[in-house]
Amino acid sequence: MGKATVIPFGPQHPVLPEPLHLDLVVEDETVVEAIPQIGFVHRGLEKLVETRDYNQFIYVAERICGICAMGHSLGYAETVESLMGVEVPKRAEYLRVIWHELSRIHSHLLWLGLAADAFGFESMFMHCWRLRERVLDIFEKTTGGRVILSVVKVGGVVRDIDDAMMAEIIRALDGIVDDYTKIMNTLLTDTSVKNRTVGVGYISHDDAVNLSMVGPFARASAVNYDVRAFGRGAYGDLSDFQPILDDGGDCFARVKVRCLEVLQSIEIIKELAAKIPAGDIEVAVKGAPADGAQASNVLEQPRGECYYYARGNGTKNLERMRMRTPTSQNLAGMTRALAGCDLADVNMIILTIDPCISCTER
Amino acid sequence: MGSFKLGGMTLGSLFKKPETVCYPAEVKPAPKGLKGHVVVDADHCILCGICQKTCPCHTITVDKKARTWGINPFMCVQCGACVRACPKHCLAMDPAYTPVATAQSCTVVEVPDPKAEAAAE
Amino acid sequence: MAQFRQEFTPLDRDAVHQDAARRKEEGWRYVQTLAVNAEDGVDLIYTYMKDGLLENLVVPLVPHGSSMPSITDVYLAAFVFENEIHDLFGITFTDLAIDFGGNFYRVAVSEPMTVISPEQKAAREKARRVAAAKAEKDAKAARAADAQTGYLADHPDAAGESKPGRVFDTASEADVEAKLAGMDPEKVARVRAAIAAKAKKAAAAEAAERDAELEAKLAAMDPEKAAKVRAAMEAKAKKAAEAAAKEGE
Repeated sequence: MGKATVIPFGPQHPVLPEPLHLDLVVEDETVVEAIPQIGFVHRGLEKLVETRDYNQFIYVAERICGICAMGHSLGYAETVESLMGVEVPKRAEYLRVIWHELSRIHSHLLWLGLAADAFGFESMFMHCWRLRERVLDIFEKTTGGRVILSVVKVGGVVRDIDDAMMAEIIRALDGIVDDYTKIMNTLLTDTSVKNRTVGVGYISHDDAVNLSMVGPFARASAVNYDVRAFGRGAYGDLSDFQPILDDGGDCFARVKVRCLEVLQSIEIIKELAAKIPAGDIEVAVKGAPADGAQASNVLEQPRGECYYYARGNGTKNLERMRMRTPTSQNLAGMTRALAGCDLADVNMIILTIDPCISCTER
Repeated sequence: MGSFKLGGMTLGSLFKKPETVCYPAEVKPAPKGLKGHVVVDADHCILCGICQKTCPCHTITVDKKARTWGINPFMCVQCGACVRACPKHCLAMDPAYTPVATAQSCTVVEVPDPKAEAAAE
Repeated sequence: MAQFRQEFTPLDRDAVHQDAARRKEEGWRYVQTLAVNAEDGVDLIYTYMKDGLLENLVVPLVPHGSSMPSITDVYLAAFVFENEIHDLFGITFTDLAIDFGGNFYRVAVSEPMTVISPEQKAAREKARRVAAAKAEKDAKAARAADAQTGYLADHPDAAGESKPGRVFDTASEADVEAKLAGMDPEKVARVRAAIAAKAKKAAAAEAAERDAELEAKLAAMDPEKAAKVRAAMEAKAKKAAEAAAKEGE
């Protein structure tokens, strides 16, 4: 056993899309302990709720994070609606879910590209981002924005998707599925990928439960938890929804779960597009949340369960708005996954957890 | 031999139409409803100030006395809240993005006074 | 899978750690901890989930700067939130498993979330005014109702009349007051002016109506009498004008 050394990792590092700092305590080549440190991009967005009314804050909420923009605006709108007792029309719920699942596809494809880049598979990175671009084009055509969509409002959505557009979305998704299956098969059967991921960063089922992990990170350790399975909103109308689980618990299992979730999302969109009812896309929301009224809400974002809390004070401004993002819940799991790994595997483990630091700090 | 599957895809890309465009020479057509920047139809504006109140980033200034409607395009986040709030439907989203500039500037539009016009006639 | 439900339950401050340990035994999943800044303390909310039940345990009004037992020895995932609450709200947690000692976030102002911004203060005052006005309105309505029943008891024959609110029509006035309380002062002044103008207009219209009625009456009388009445009225008006002028001096 060698002497313990502390190696700083980040906040600037080629594999990290966002600033995360780790103090890695290393003995020889083995990481003994990893202490995460965040706080480089804290913007105090939760405080901003005091100066913006509840209709305006949705644009702040979706700017918490670029990739989860749709998820945050949706989660915020649902929380305020539950606070004020607003019932959203069925068509709006369907449209919201369609956009949300599209953003899951784009998030997972982005992540897959980054992961491929992390283990030096450059051409895979290119192909993943090429497919992601098609999803962004769908967003551009249906919402007018590529990343920040600004399409959800308290009480519904602001734009409708007509039948012709819906057919075009399905066509575009069919085009993606073709190329995507090839990429996925390559990734899941390639020996060089397996060499880097199988058995690395193992988290057992018990650990995952004890550390209260969420999202694909937990589902890769066979934790059967997916907020979508509660069947709220349009998810309740799906004929069958089963969370994708894997009992591997290592980096490979996480890659696999996310890969399969893309296909699952495409299936969900196709089913909802076929079932979507006609009708209004919004209801008028009047008045203000009552003084002291509270509401909480959970939503399955691409990275896992996100918790929202809102409290009113009788005026149009909320007293408190809180978002607990999936990554902050998974930080404890990350330290556990890193303990005992090889120094060279640290970047691979961090990437398969898919941390979103901007979300975590807000 | 997974790599060769992807190899086939990569090779195929050599002969397909490129996914990208030669940007400055060729520009992607903007889809309908793209959120570029906010434009005002000054003839129909009644200077009610609802857009100013709705704007989440306080970028619109409506001056009733001077009869002007102003926007700082560099502060605007293109959320479209003002377009939906306008009671006279005189605000619209233009698909063209705000061009790059060396200094920040405001766009101020003078709103003609219907009463003054009627008096002049 | 189970149906999603949410609940808010109060929790005693001393029972936080015990409750966490019990829930861990029972297999609850830790969701999060958050703090809400109130005027004389901080509300802490611990959230757990089991079988679709999202249970929010509210620990009311923990004084600013006080100390709480950490639950990180039971649920390690809580270290992010406890460090965050320490840095942003100034509540100290004892025995943190991973303690950043106040360096989790680099903040320019200490405990930034406990600073009450002018906007929030204004919002709270407004809320209070609205609540007070509403209470007053309710009280007034209750008084009016009492008076109404009293009046009805005294005048049993009045019950059948079509105008039960006769003297006691305070509800609409109170309504206006309640609405005014929620607005900003500038607007209130404008609204009040508008109300006054409206009242004046109504009075003028009434006067005009009276004049018209009088004219009609006069027209119906024989000319001599009419002339007499006219003269008398003119004299009366002159007198009233003189009196008003004197008062004005």
